[in-house]
Amino acid sequence: MSIYELLTQFGDKYLAALLTTWKLTAISFTLAFVIGIVITIMRISPIKPIRFVGDLYVQIFRNIPGAALLIILVYAFPYLNFVWSYYACVLIATSLLPASFCSEYLMAGMNTIGAGQIEAARSIGMTFFQTIKNVVLPQALRSSVLPMTNLLVATMLTTALASQVPLKPTDLTGIVSYINTRTVGGVTAFMISAFLYCATAVIIGQIGSLIDRKVRILR
Amino acid sequence: MNGVNTSIRDILYEEPGKKARRRIAIGTVISLLLLVVLVLMMIRRFYDSGQLDSKYWIFFTKSTTWKFLGKGLLGTVEVAFASGALAFLMGLFMMLGRISSFAVARIISRILIEFSRGVPTLLFIYFFFLAAPQFGLKLPAFWKISIPVALSAAGMVAEVLRSGVNAVPKGQTEAALSLGMRKNSVFFKIIFPQALRYVVPSMISELVIVLKDTTFAYVVNYADLMQNSRVLISNYDALLSVYLVAAVIYILINYILNQISVAITKHRNVAS
Repeated sequence: MSIYELLTQFGDKYLAALLTTWKLTAISFTLAFVIGIVITIMRISPIKPIRFVGDLYVQIFRNIPGAALLIILVYAFPYLNFVWSYYACVLIATSLLPASFCSEYLMAGMNTIGAGQIEAARSIGMTFFQTIKNVVLPQALRSSVLPMTNLLVATMLTTALASQVPLKPTDLTGIVSYINTRTVGGVTAFMISAFLYCATAVIIGQIGSLIDRKVRILR
Repeated sequence: MNGVNTSIRDILYEEPGKKARRRIAIGTVISLLLLVVLVLMMIRRFYDSGQLDSKYWIFFTKSTTWKFLGKGLLGTVEVAFASGALAFLMGLFMMLGRISSFAVARIISRILIEFSRGVPTLLFIYFFFLAAPQFGLKLPAFWKISIPVALSAAGMVAEVLRSGVNAVPKGQTEAALSLGMRKNSVFFKIIFPQALRYVVPSMISELVIVLKDTTFAYVVNYADLMQNSRVLISNYDALLSVYLVAAVIYILINYILNQISVAITKHRNVAS
């Protein structure tokens, strides 16, 4: 099929798929970011068991394959009487996975803050949480704009997992198999989705480096 | 759990005093209790839904079960190595194009890298699974999973290699050129071997990503760990236990790979 035929026949489906991917990406990224911050605070807390849980979280979710996590959520969890919709399962998987990477990036960002600053904050009487809130997190966040941009793109790629469960409307990856089961979509059907993914990734990358240039801390 | 990460944790607070030590102790006890309650609640869930029943776990004591899982794991490892090697080769060419002095090669490599990094692995897999057969490209299942996984890793490999090349001090190129070496032999004999050394830890992390992507092998019906787990599930009618064990195997392998990467980085930091 030519690109023109494909777009007249499935144009609205592609648009819906693009919006689904964007929506999944936005929600997952927001959730991943919040979870990532919480996990990071847990990992730097002085209380050992809390630290351990934070570390364990990161080690589990950065090492488990996305497909395995989604399959467990969708097919295995109902056996434990946890029954969630397909949409919820996808969102849980695409939020929990990037959250572990988010925490890793924040930790790396924190390492760029010198020990002197933390000692200084402590010596003017800041408590642990004040130090975190006023000294550590703002700098860690500012120096992790570029990693976070990469994380946003990675989150978008992770949302392709949504194609593994029946969703309506389907995402950008799902639409390719949807079209190919109905007609001979060929390479073009694939290329349209690929182009939309790439375009989104490039736009995110551009915005990311723009923000990075504004907020980067020059040392 | 990473060598660099522990440092920030240790400087965040000074040696706790008497009061703080007590507070930390109380916090430790409370959080430990919460943790125990949480674990008990999880076990309770398993118990109440009958998932602790021995019929779901007993077959893990049989050697045939592990042999079968091991066979699947071997399939996973084979695909991971094939994809890793392919991704390295493709990434190498993309990187060479990216730093080449020909503008056309630079632009093409740039597009290829963006494409590889911007398209999800699953879409590449669907391409080789659904689109490629339409124009007569019939590949065995092994390559139907290896090639797409490699394609989606290649862009990242190229960027990692490039960062390695950039990390080699400029003075070395200048020194080698001034000795009369040719540009190509400067790159391949002096710059590249060092760059390769720099990027070994990142390459191992990349291998973890490749290994995780190979789980999509079930899409093309290739017998990897995930696919063999499915067979076990239908044999023993035990879904939850098998998938959990498979997930733990994946996590452990990737964890070990990541620890190797961390260990190499640490060793180097000490050495230099």
